[in-house]
Amino acid sequence: MLALSRKKGEALIINNNIEITILEIKGDQVKIGIAAPKEVPVYRKEVYIQIQEANKEAMIADSLTGLKDLF
Amino acid sequence: MTINTRIFGEINIDEEKIITFQNGIVGFPDLKDFALIYDEEKGTATSIRWLQSVQAAEFALPVMDPLIVYKDYNPEVDDELLQSAGALDSNEMLVLVTLTVPNDIKTMSINLKAPIVINAKARKACQVIAEGDNYPVKFQIYELLQALKSAK
Repeated sequence: MLALSRKKGEALIINNNIEITILEIKGDQVKIGIAAPKEVPVYRKEVYIQIQEANKEAMIADSLTGLKDLF
Repeated sequence: MTINTRIFGEINIDEEKIITFQNGIVGFPDLKDFALIYDEEKGTATSIRWLQSVQAAEFALPVMDPLIVYKDYNPEVDDELLQSAGALDSNEMLVLVTLTVPNDIKTMSINLKAPIVINAKARKACQVIAEGDNYPVKFQIYELLQALKSAK
């Protein structure tokens, strides 16, 4: 992984069209600004993983026979 | 066209009915083309439909209308996240949530946090993540369904 040091107010450019700015640093929390094209989805990683897991679980659908009686 | 599916075997799909997720499903960015299918025996009235991947036979997500069990479902979603579904007209828009059915059916749940928005006219769709903490990833619905059934 590439590691770069940045100060408050400084930014990074990724792939010519995504700009990541360090907006605020407070204790162990950093506020980050992301300017990206509209088609680039940005998620908090823990939320992304949670939804990915939920999609995986939904796909497995173990007891489908019981489902029919429920609706 | 004919596609292979894990659950339904080989099925025929009208190519015009394929729904494109430009960004894929969350966690599966490469799966972009889906067909919304349902059990023919039950007809269109059935509550559970399936988003079947055209590319991956094993990938089929059971989905349902969240309003069946959650009348006031109205998640807040960043407009930019909806871009890939194209221009949305509420009359042509379908909001569905995925259904997780574990071995113990009583713990079945729907994902209210990440609904699937389908633009029926343009055949485009996206899965979005709702803002805030109002809607859980696992909202249990077994008892709600039982109650609905006995109220019929």
